[in-house]
Amino acid sequence: MTTSELRPASNSLRWTISDCLAMTGRNVRRLMRAPDQVVFTLLSPIMFTLLFRYVFGGAIRGLGNINYVNYLIPGIAVQTAIFTAGNSGFALAEDRGKGFIDRLRSLPMARSAVLAGRVSADTLSNAVGLFIIIAVGVAVGFRPESIPGLLLGVLLLLGFALATCFIFALVGMYASNVQTVNAATFPVIFPLTFASSAFVPTSTMPSWLRAFADHQPVTIVINAVRALTIGNVSSAQREQLFAGQSTSSLVIQSLLWALGIGLVFGSLAVRRYNSTSI
Amino acid sequence: MVADSLVKTFNGTVKALDGVSFEIPQGTVLGLLGPNGAGKTTAVRVLTTLLKPDSGRASVAGIDVVARPQAARRVIGLAGQYAAVDEALTGRENLLLVGSLNHLDRRARQQRATDLLDRFDLSDAADRTLKTYSGGMRRRLDLAAALVARPPVLFLDEPTTGLDPRSRIDLWSVISDLVNDGTTLLLTTQYLEEADRLADQICVVDHGRVIAEGTASELKDRLGGTLVEVTLDDDGLAAAAVGALSGVGDDHDSVKREGSVVRVATATGPATLTEVVRRLDAAGIEFAGLQLRQPSLDDVFLALTGHAAEEAATAPKSKPSRRQKEPVS
Repeated sequence: MTTSELRPASNSLRWTISDCLAMTGRNVRRLMRAPDQVVFTLLSPIMFTLLFRYVFGGAIRGLGNINYVNYLIPGIAVQTAIFTAGNSGFALAEDRGKGFIDRLRSLPMARSAVLAGRVSADTLSNAVGLFIIIAVGVAVGFRPESIPGLLLGVLLLLGFALATCFIFALVGMYASNVQTVNAATFPVIFPLTFASSAFVPTSTMPSWLRAFADHQPVTIVINAVRALTIGNVSSAQREQLFAGQSTSSLVIQSLLWALGIGLVFGSLAVRRYNSTSI
Repeated sequence: MVADSLVKTFNGTVKALDGVSFEIPQGTVLGLLGPNGAGKTTAVRVLTTLLKPDSGRASVAGIDVVARPQAARRVIGLAGQYAAVDEALTGRENLLLVGSLNHLDRRARQQRATDLLDRFDLSDAADRTLKTYSGGMRRRLDLAAALVARPPVLFLDEPTTGLDPRSRIDLWSVISDLVNDGTTLLLTTQYLEEADRLADQICVVDHGRVIAEGTASELKDRLGGTLVEVTLDDDGLAAAAVGALSGVGDDHDSVKREGSVVRVATATGPATLTEVVRRLDAAGIEFAGLQLRQPSLDDVFLALTGHAAEEAATAPKSKPSRRQKEPVS
């Protein structure tokens, strides 16, 4: 006669949700106790904002009557979201290295809660980071055309960031430490965020690079957020800025990318988590 | 708890478990004793559902851990070198988290956390983050976390490795109390003294196999009950002494030399002692020391494996982190 016999089975939806909330709470608490980490993650996008707004921005052409700061901030925001998502990989690698994941595996908790709690917490932290970056943007002159457009853009971006968390989480399930996660992801993340429309219109790039930049997911998401915040543009500008694509098409493509990345990397990460034990 | 012919191979070559079997009756303590790399931790990881065995069967409280891992997790607690606590959280938050993931309701987990913090002498540090805890406090909290759901079966994987002697003795008394409460316990250790002190039964493991089992005193009896230990001035004299003493003791294998020390295992201590003195005197070999003593588990280990337990156990201590992953341990 032990209390363990009285405890209900953990496979019910209610326990799964409660486990996910418990893990999210734990992860958020950790993030809040290491604010320096969040600040450092935001430091480089803030510096990029200032650098491109005041140093390089004046030299960037091809935007017509669009103010460069309004062009820049959506790009910075997407870059920030991707970098912040990296924490999913770092934190999982750290938890594995310290044996904390083993403790969790020995508990009768929902197995999905470890990953779900991780990406939820990092997406919450991403929401805070985006708020700060947009505030910095507004301080240096960013003026979105419409508030609903901005909110929609942020939501879209958070969805994409959530999916990106799963990419890092998968790496974190393999890597033995934080440095390895960094080394493994940087060579992929760097070209994706810079060979994109984040800082300059792709129309200024050589054609081979433009072909890549125009169609890779980071550009699609940046363009979607930009189209939502910049408001109406002429068809010539749309051709120049968004490779001629309509706002709704960009939004739908972004959602599909987020869904696809989330499903593929999410299921790979779950499979990896389950395969390493019984 | 039953482990039956467990086999686990890593990377296709390293046999961490090579047919390990043991049984722990309810409410008793089994000490799994062996040096680093003997397979102790691998055995614990299999029994706690963290690792799937290549073959063999394992069950806790009658529940097959491979077939019903989630049910098994409801009856086990795990603490020690691999299970861990969260350094960024406070002691209380750690216990509340584990309580929540064990699906205790809010009131129950708060009560349980307070009780455990009190019991493990951590009340004063309850609301500080673990970064401020000493090694001993951390291990106590780790053990407390394993006990949150009152598991009837407990695994302690090298619970005192890396602790200073004082903390080790504190932890021993905590573990003794637990055992008195009727918990079934599997304890792994590199410390012979620890197994001797806490375990009802001891399994000596080496290279993934159980090489001996029994109570501490049964294992000591394997050496013939008593040891006559002669210390000489140098190895050369000791070798000469071995020659002079051939045939003394219970059988031809009773006389062993380790450096400048010669040990004779015997069932009849005093008589053998006299014989040893007479023989050495006759051979004209002077000795520096002579004693009659009960064998320690160290002697048992040396006799069983041909190498000392401590020798193998001390080397890994210089590693930067105890918690570093190594598949074979």
